[in-house]
Amino acid sequence: MPLIGQLALALALILAAYSIIANLVGARRSLPALLASGRHAVWATCAMVTVAVAALWTSLLRSDFSLEYVASYTSASLPTFYKITALWGGQQGSLLLWTWLLTIFTAIAAFQNRRRNPEIAPYALVVLAAIAIFFLGMLNFVTRPFDMLAAVAPDGQDLNPLLQNYWMAIHPPSLYTGYVSASVPFAFAAGALITGRLDDSWIRSTRRWAIFSWFFLTLGNLFGARWAYEVLGWGGYWAWDPVENAAFMPWLVMTAYLHSVMIQERKDMLKVWNLVLIGMAFALTLFGTFITRSGVISSVHSFTQSGLGPYFLTFLIIVVLAYSAMLIVRVPKLRSPAEFESYLSREAAFLFNNLVLVGIAFAVFWGTLFPVLSEAVRGVKITVGPPFFDKVNAPLALALIFLMGFGPLIAWRRSSLGNLAKTFASPALFGLVTGGCAFLAGLRQWYVLAALSLAAFVLGTIVVEFRRGVGARRHLVKESAPAAIVNLVAKNNRRYGGYIIHVGVVLAFIGIVASSYFRTEVKKSVREGETFQVGPYDLEYLGIETTETPHVETSRARIEVRRNGRPVAMMLPAKLFFKRNQQPATAVAIRSTPAADLYVVLAGIDDQTGLATFQVFLTPLVFWLWAGGIVMAFGTVIAMWPNVRERAAIAATVRAAAATPAVGEPLRRRA
Amino acid sequence: MPKKIRFALGAGLMVAAIAYLIVTAVRNTAEYYLTVGEVKARQSELAGQTLRVAGRVVPGTISWNPETLTLAFGITQPPAQDAPAGVQPVAITAAAAVFHVICRGQPKPDMFAPGRDVIVEGALASDGTIQARQVLTSCPSKYAPKQPATAP
Repeated sequence: MPLIGQLALALALILAAYSIIANLVGARRSLPALLASGRHAVWATCAMVTVAVAALWTSLLRSDFSLEYVASYTSASLPTFYKITALWGGQQGSLLLWTWLLTIFTAIAAFQNRRRNPEIAPYALVVLAAIAIFFLGMLNFVTRPFDMLAAVAPDGQDLNPLLQNYWMAIHPPSLYTGYVSASVPFAFAAGALITGRLDDSWIRSTRRWAIFSWFFLTLGNLFGARWAYEVLGWGGYWAWDPVENAAFMPWLVMTAYLHSVMIQERKDMLKVWNLVLIGMAFALTLFGTFITRSGVISSVHSFTQSGLGPYFLTFLIIVVLAYSAMLIVRVPKLRSPAEFESYLSREAAFLFNNLVLVGIAFAVFWGTLFPVLSEAVRGVKITVGPPFFDKVNAPLALALIFLMGFGPLIAWRRSSLGNLAKTFASPALFGLVTGGCAFLAGLRQWYVLAALSLAAFVLGTIVVEFRRGVGARRHLVKESAPAAIVNLVAKNNRRYGGYIIHVGVVLAFIGIVASSYFRTEVKKSVREGETFQVGPYDLEYLGIETTETPHVETSRARIEVRRNGRPVAMMLPAKLFFKRNQQPATAVAIRSTPAADLYVVLAGIDDQTGLATFQVFLTPLVFWLWAGGIVMAFGTVIAMWPNVRERAAIAATVRAAAATPAVGEPLRRRA
Repeated sequence: MPKKIRFALGAGLMVAAIAYLIVTAVRNTAEYYLTVGEVKARQSELAGQTLRVAGRVVPGTISWNPETLTLAFGITQPPAQDAPAGVQPVAITAAAAVFHVICRGQPKPDMFAPGRDVIVEGALASDGTIQARQVLTSCPSKYAPKQPATAP
């Protein structure tokens, strides 16, 4: 098996190199046969990497401890489920997964564009293959997944206990999918720069890729947060750790990109900016891998620190320099005929939304790199922790939420004050009333009041927008209200999917604000039969039970939760002990309701005194963070769904391309 | 005023506001991140400040009171050759403790153990005691394999 995997990776490298040559020469000399051969090489590369992945999975499942990777990240007693997930439990496997996804996406892009985009597509495939060559080079020469041990190990060292959790199956693949799929729009942007076809065809052809990437980045971040919440046992879900930041920054830039491309599609503006954003998004995915793998920045995640850092940094610098050079050369051709006319316009709102998003990304970048920068400049390592990120981002988040209500409703080009008043009167009133009620209910933190008012304002604008659309449909086609809603969304899925995402963002924002401001924490050491109080709840510690499997020993405490004397739940927080690597871990008990989460950690058991230490958090409304995430995902699926109009537009391009293969034609502009 | 300039001005203001936020936040939240050795060298100058100190837990100095949730231990500078790595069984004696750390009101971290590398967040008192707000254990993602001393 290892030999097959090794061989497959070597072949993949050669095939990727060939696909570059074939696509380059084929595009330069307009040789359709060579271009077809290049596409076939892309598919063959994907097949070879698939073989390598299958080989590694087979070795993991068979517990082949002659393989260093298998011996380092699994053990004989590890449950099968985690043997499968161990594929991305270590560095070599993670890079293999990354490469696999990249070659799959490249293969799909090659298939989609076998007749579309005859000019840009070959160069986009060249760029994608070049990225693949970097990763395949690492896998072949630097960090090899199929290295053998000198002597077969009797047992493996097991997977890190923190990774032995079902989120391990979901979070890393989602995040990687999000990271890697950003390469496709990037490659098309680079293709557009190389060929000089700078209209918006590269954006349109990769629109769904960009949303797809954003979808998985969103899920990846949320899954990571949820994982931290359930597993790490500190009651929170986000700690502004460098690794979290590395996943958050591409998400922010992708979000900015998805908004600003609308301005280019509608108004032919911000062309340079869009090219910059997609370049940044891609560079940040590499940067994320660089900081997590290089050990340049210390993180609680502490992945295996390895010699990968310099390679990633070099690749990153080459990518940034090459892309910037191409961009600078093309700037004269990217002048836009249109310009901003008024601050009170949708263009301006979107521009400011972009500035805020990129501003947040920059603040996060700055805070993450601060220890390195301060050490380089002043010779002392100075860190900024979560308070820095909270301080900077809190006001920016408010600005963003405001623009989220303002931007989608304001008119293009310019809006008169009268128009503004008409559109925004009721949402603004709703926001103020909500804030006022919260004030009367006793809330005094100005930030919370502002956040609630703005959240209500945004929800108000979305309701207004839906009502307007439904009203128009009912008037024109005489539909019932529910039918009108469904048709409205189906006919304009991109737009209304976007609004649904906004609803999700607002819900998540409320969850974040409430959980940051109103979390209570109680730490208590108690004996069996003792009761202690957390908020409105009484918690009685009933005792502890120890169970054992060959893999893990579990001490589970039983806690009865009562409210006003009535039992409401039995909670079972536990302490785990993983035998193979002699490590303890915590299993949190969570009772989640829309109003508040009760979160119980068994922090320790003292053998001498019999005291059990509990750490209990009562976090209001944190439920809505996850609920908002689900709404965002739902909205994204709607926005991604292919619609009839778009299909017709693509079919038209294909026909046009077939008629004049050398020139191609921009997609028909949608009104 | 031409529209272009007017917009550049607005965008510039926005950028300046963000920059201002970053600068003030850095000023208010920055903490030194030092090793035990570096703190020792500048002890008088750093007294009273909030720091993050990286060091190694000295075996034989740990006391833990679960009743009051008070954890006390000594930390020292790890030997240079394996500075950032995880668990390394190095013979350090109680006498090697450079600073005394007291952390009140927090549960003992899972991974806390003698000889483990930790990051202590807290204020340095003039007597060389660190009143810790938080003790973080660095979790190694790879473990030194346990020596199979009694392996067949």
